[in-house]
Amino acid sequence: MARHIVIVGGGVGGTMLANQLVSKLYPEVLREQVRITLLSNSPDHYYKPAFMYVAFNQFFQEELKRPQRSLLRPEIDFQVQEVTRFDFTGQALHTRSGRCYGYDFLVIATGCVPAPERIEGLQQAGDHFYQYEAARQLARRLASIDKGRIFITVSFPQTPNVPHQCGIAPVETTLMLDDYLRQRGVRDKVEIIYTYPTTAQLLRNCLFLQRPTGEILPSIFEQKNIRFQRGFTLSKVDPEQRIAYSEEGDAQPFDILMATPPIRAVDAVLQSGASRAPNNEGWLPTNHETLQVYGLEGVYVIGDTVDLPISKAGGACHNQAPVIANNIAGEIRLGSTCAVYDGKVQAAAQMGLGAGMPLCYDYRHDVLPTPPTKLGSLLRNGFNRGLYWAVARGML
Amino acid sequence: MDATDLPAVLNANPGLDALLRKLQPLLDSGRMDNVVDLLSLSADLVDLLDAAMVEKLSGLFEEATALSWNLGNAMRMASAQTRNEPTPSLYGLLLLLRDPQTRRGLALVLRILNVIGRQD
Repeated sequence: MARHIVIVGGGVGGTMLANQLVSKLYPEVLREQVRITLLSNSPDHYYKPAFMYVAFNQFFQEELKRPQRSLLRPEIDFQVQEVTRFDFTGQALHTRSGRCYGYDFLVIATGCVPAPERIEGLQQAGDHFYQYEAARQLARRLASIDKGRIFITVSFPQTPNVPHQCGIAPVETTLMLDDYLRQRGVRDKVEIIYTYPTTAQLLRNCLFLQRPTGEILPSIFEQKNIRFQRGFTLSKVDPEQRIAYSEEGDAQPFDILMATPPIRAVDAVLQSGASRAPNNEGWLPTNHETLQVYGLEGVYVIGDTVDLPISKAGGACHNQAPVIANNIAGEIRLGSTCAVYDGKVQAAAQMGLGAGMPLCYDYRHDVLPTPPTKLGSLLRNGFNRGLYWAVARGML
Repeated sequence: MDATDLPAVLNANPGLDALLRKLQPLLDSGRMDNVVDLLSLSADLVDLLDAAMVEKLSGLFEEATALSWNLGNAMRMASAQTRNEPTPSLYGLLLLLRDPQTRRGLALVLRILNVIGRQD
């Protein structure tokens, strides 16, 4: 009887892994000894990092999505099904439509969702760029502000040593904001204040979650007349007075509050009982080398749902997918896992509208920042517009 | 800087020293100009590239890779299925047409021919 591999989630992690699994296990797929199913709650696949460009009117919705089916190899059984319950004991999944899928191997690739409602007043008064509609709302505000104060905050999960979504995004968008307001000719009348919380993973009182990058940010911000403040952990927002309060006792007024909000795992993962993370955040206890979920047989996790100290971003999925594909192939062919994830994440950071900085790090090495360049920005743009889709198809 | 200072500079800068040693054969053979010209051409290309140009080139890249990926997938899967089955009879070939996905593929090919005709 065929071994059934089910991947839940049609984001970049689930998509590229499904394609790589077909490639890795092609002989078994041909002999019908392995079948691969991908379940997603959407018929479309979204290039999520483009949402931050939407906030600056640089991307249309039509340009950042493709039909999910068009990104998957034909050997994959793709179903638009929203998983509502994981039955790990019975090795089965239950969907909103009432269907039940059994599995031999399960990969949870359901990502994370912004949870601004977890900070009083943030949902009403704050803006973010981690979803399309939210980014459009922010775009409308940024396109119309002529004077005032844009206040930037970053909220980390309360689970120790777990980062917020896409570590470099708050820096990227702060620098893009500066360029955008200069293009609009209103920068001298709009104050930008970048803040960072007291606790950022293992660091305290810094401006970024890794020390080498955090140390160069003051000089970059000073050159651009961006104010910055350490030790501002957003605790409450007053939507009427438009004031952001911090756990440290500070109160700051704003016209636009551009916040990286709290995040959590999706409902089905929260309710699965598999997470040990505090604050009902839902991160799955992940073996940092094999990417298996601790305590569950045949279950792997990729991308934002892990409880690892590395970035919740596509650049992490890109290096996790081959490890999981090899480990599932190893379990099927050899009876044990055979690949190890070293925590590698790579990206091309958009350091302003016309400058980019390729970066790379892993469990043992921090990003060593280099001067942002025009070529770096062109690389990022080329990735946004073309290379990404080849990556999702598992070609790169 | 006086030319006599050069060895001192090189001693103090091993990186520059290593680079000059690498470049020496090019200087000796008179091909250093080609390298400089190539650098100049690269700089011109970077100047030519802007967001609009990158968008167009990236679009072309996606179209080309998606097409080759689709055709490669179809060829690989069809070859595997054909290899695993006995040679079909004429009736067997007609049976393939009963599969709605075969008919969709056939309609796609016919439409491609139609559009080629329209562009001719």
